[in-house]
Amino acid sequence: MSRRIFAPSARTMIVLAAAALAVGAAGCSSSSSSSSSSSTNTSAPPPSASSAPAATSTSSCGTSPGTAATGTPIALGAIVTNQPGTSFTDIPNMANAYFACVNANGGINGHPIKLYIETEQTNPAQIAADAKQLVQTDHVVGIVGNTSIIECSVDSSYWQKLGYYIIDSGIAPECYGTPNSAAVNMGPRYSSDGAVQYALSQHVSKIVFDQSNVPGTGYIAAGPNALAKAAGVPIVQLTENVPISDADSVAIKEVDDAGPDGAVVLNFTPPEALVILQAAQKLGLEDHVKLWGCSTPCNTDFLAQSLGPKWNDKLFVNAELLPPDVTNTPTMNLYKAILKQYGSAVSGGIGSFSQMGFTEAEIAVHALESITGAYTVASVNAAFKAVSDFNTGMLCQLWSYGSSATHIPNNEDSTVTPDNGKMVTAQGCTLISAVDPQIAAYRSAAGTAALEPGS
Amino acid sequence: MPPWSDFEPFIVSGLALGGVYALSGVGLVVLYRATGVLYLAFGAVGAMGALIAWSLTQAGAPGWLSWLVCVAFAAAVTLGYGAVFGPALAARGPLIKAVATIGLTLILYGAMDLLWTTSGGEARSLTLPTDNGGFSIGQIQVNWTQVIALAAGVVITVATGAFLRYTKLGTAMRAMANDREITATLGVPVRRVEAAAWLGCGVLAGVAGLLLADLVALDATTLTFLVISSLAAVLIARLRSIALAFAAAIAVGLLHDLLTPITSLTNYRDMTPFVIAAVGLLVLSRHQVLAQSREES
Repeated sequence: MSRRIFAPSARTMIVLAAAALAVGAAGCSSSSSSSSSSSTNTSAPPPSASSAPAATSTSSCGTSPGTAATGTPIALGAIVTNQPGTSFTDIPNMANAYFACVNANGGINGHPIKLYIETEQTNPAQIAADAKQLVQTDHVVGIVGNTSIIECSVDSSYWQKLGYYIIDSGIAPECYGTPNSAAVNMGPRYSSDGAVQYALSQHVSKIVFDQSNVPGTGYIAAGPNALAKAAGVPIVQLTENVPISDADSVAIKEVDDAGPDGAVVLNFTPPEALVILQAAQKLGLEDHVKLWGCSTPCNTDFLAQSLGPKWNDKLFVNAELLPPDVTNTPTMNLYKAILKQYGSAVSGGIGSFSQMGFTEAEIAVHALESITGAYTVASVNAAFKAVSDFNTGMLCQLWSYGSSATHIPNNEDSTVTPDNGKMVTAQGCTLISAVDPQIAAYRSAAGTAALEPGS
Repeated sequence: MPPWSDFEPFIVSGLALGGVYALSGVGLVVLYRATGVLYLAFGAVGAMGALIAWSLTQAGAPGWLSWLVCVAFAAAVTLGYGAVFGPALAARGPLIKAVATIGLTLILYGAMDLLWTTSGGEARSLTLPTDNGGFSIGQIQVNWTQVIALAAGVVITVATGAFLRYTKLGTAMRAMANDREITATLGVPVRRVEAAAWLGCGVLAGVAGLLLADLVALDATTLTFLVISSLAAVLIARLRSIALAFAAAIAVGLLHDLLTPITSLTNYRDMTPFVIAAVGLLVLSRHQVLAQSREES
C-alpha cells in the first residue's frame, strides 16, 4: 500500500526534476534574454589553453609583451541586444577578447581593462536601467562596444548629461545624429546608401529597395531614395514583416517590380536576406534582374557558402570594413590571432561583427594609452573624444571622434561579391555620396577623412 | 488592382505553402480528436528536427539520413511528451492541455536559441534535392519541392481520412473523440491509441518541419510560430473535420500569397490566417445559431 502511494509521488518528482532541468537548460540559453538586466561581469577571460598557437603573435596588442597587468582595473561598459533571432553579443565579446590580450601584455600602464556587458531585449525601461547599472553600480568610466537596436535612442540624452562619449556599432539614428556617439560601422542607412550607389554605378534602370518592417524604416529609406532621385532612377520602397514566412512571394514581387534591367537591394539580417535570395534561386529568378544588392549584414561567408556559385558577380554587398579573407596587414593578422587565442566567446568567428568589436576596442585602447593621470569619467571620455585620424587597419578611412554635432566617421566603403563560398572585393573603397543630406552635413562639419594606408 | 498575370506566380507559391499548412493541420486535428490536446509545440519540434538535420548535413551525413533523423526526432519528442504528460493531463480541460504544450514549445525554442545561435550573423539553410528540378507553367517556374508540398498535403489528408474510417485504430480514435471514458470501458486500449496519435502527429511535425525549412526558412522563430497559420485552418475545421482543415489551409496559403502584389494590402497579408479564421468561425457559428433556432421553432 505504502509503495502504491509512494510510487506516483516519485514519478512526479522525476518528471518535475526533468522538467526543471529542461527549463533550466532553456533558461541558460536565454539567460541574457530574461527581463532582468543580466549583468555579465566579463572581466577579460584568460587565454584559451586549447587554442592552437596563432601565426601572428598577439603580444603586439600591449605595451609590455608577456607581462600581465595587475593594477586597479579600468571599468568600461557595453549594452548589447541579445534576443532570439537578433543577437549582437559577438561585438562586445570580441572587444573583450582584445582587452584580454591587452591585459595579458601590460594593460594600460599596468591597469587591466574590465568590460561589463549588459544584455537587453529591446525593452526601453530595461535599457535605461542597464545604463544606470553600469554607471552607478559598476562605476564604468567609458562605454565601448554598445550594439543595440534602440539603445542609442533610449540612452542618448543620459550619456550626454553625464559626459560619456560612446564608441559603438550603430543602428538607431541617434547613434549617428548626436554629439556623444561615434560608431565604427555605417549602420543600416549609409550601408544601404552604399549598396544602392553601387547598383546605380552599374546603370540599372530601376531600384527596388526592400527592408524589414521595423521602426526606423523611413529614416533608412531616405538615403537610398535621395541617391536614386539624384540619379534620375525610379525607386520602389518595400517593407516586409519579419520573420519572413513567404520568401517565394517576396522574391517574385521584388523581381517583378525591378524588371530585367533593374536592381533589387535588400536591407535585412543575414537569415532573412538568405531566405529571399534562396527563394529567388529556387524559382530561377536570380537572372531576371540586372543585379542584386545588399547592405552590410549580407557580408558573411555563411551567406556566400549557402548561396553557392550562381550568385558570383550577381549579388553585390556593401562592406563597411575591409575584407578579412584577402587583407594581409599586421592589424588584420592581429585581429585573427586575438580571435583565435582569446575569442572563445565569439561564436561567429571571423566576420563583420567581430571586426567591429576589435576596431572599437583598439580605438579605446589607443585613447586610454594617451591618458597620463587618473582614469576617470572625465579623462577617459575626453581621450575618446580627442581621437583623431586614427588608423584602425579595418576601415577604408582614418577614424575620428571630434566635436561635431553628428558622427558618421565611417563613410567610405567597398563592395564585395560571393566567389565560390567566400566574399571577395568587387569594388574598392568608395566615398558614400554626399547626395544623402546626412552625409553632406557631417562632411561639412568634420571634413572628409583621408584613406587608411593600405586600404 | 494589378493585372491577372501578376497574380499567376503567387498561385504556385500559395498552393505549396497551403499544402504544408494542410499537412500540419491534419496532424493537429487527428491528435486533438484522439487526445483532446491542441499541440502548440508542433512547429517547434519540426524546427528543431530541421536544425538537427542541418547540423548532420554540415557534419557530412548523407541527406536521407539527416531527413530521417529529423522525422525520428520530432516523432520521439512528441511521443515522449504524450507518454509522460498525456496521462497526467488526461482529466484536465483542453485549455490546460494546450498551455502545457506551450511549455514544451518554450523549452525547445530556448534550446534552439542556445544550440543554433545567430549572434555572429549566422544564416542557415536546408535545401532539398527536389529544389533543383521542376517545370514551367507559362512563365512560372515550379520546382519539385513545391509539388511535393502540395501533394503531401493531399495524400496525407486522404490517407488519414481513410485510416480513421476504415481501420480499427482509426475507429478507436474516432470513438475516443466522442467519449474517452466510454471507449475505455468498451475495452479499447486508450493509452496505446493515444500513443499512436502522438506518434503520427510527431511524424507529420518532422515532415512539415523539413518542407517548411526548405520552402520558408531554416529559422527557429519562423518555423516555431508558423504553426499559427495551420491553427487558423484547424479552428475553421473546429478541430474535427480533416477535409475542412485541408480546404482552409489551402485557402490560407493561397490568399496570403495572392495579396502580395496588391500594394495597398501587401503589408497586411500576414493577417490572412487570423482574418480567415475569424470570418470562418463567424459564418459557422451563424449557421449553427440558425439551425438551432429552426429546430426550436
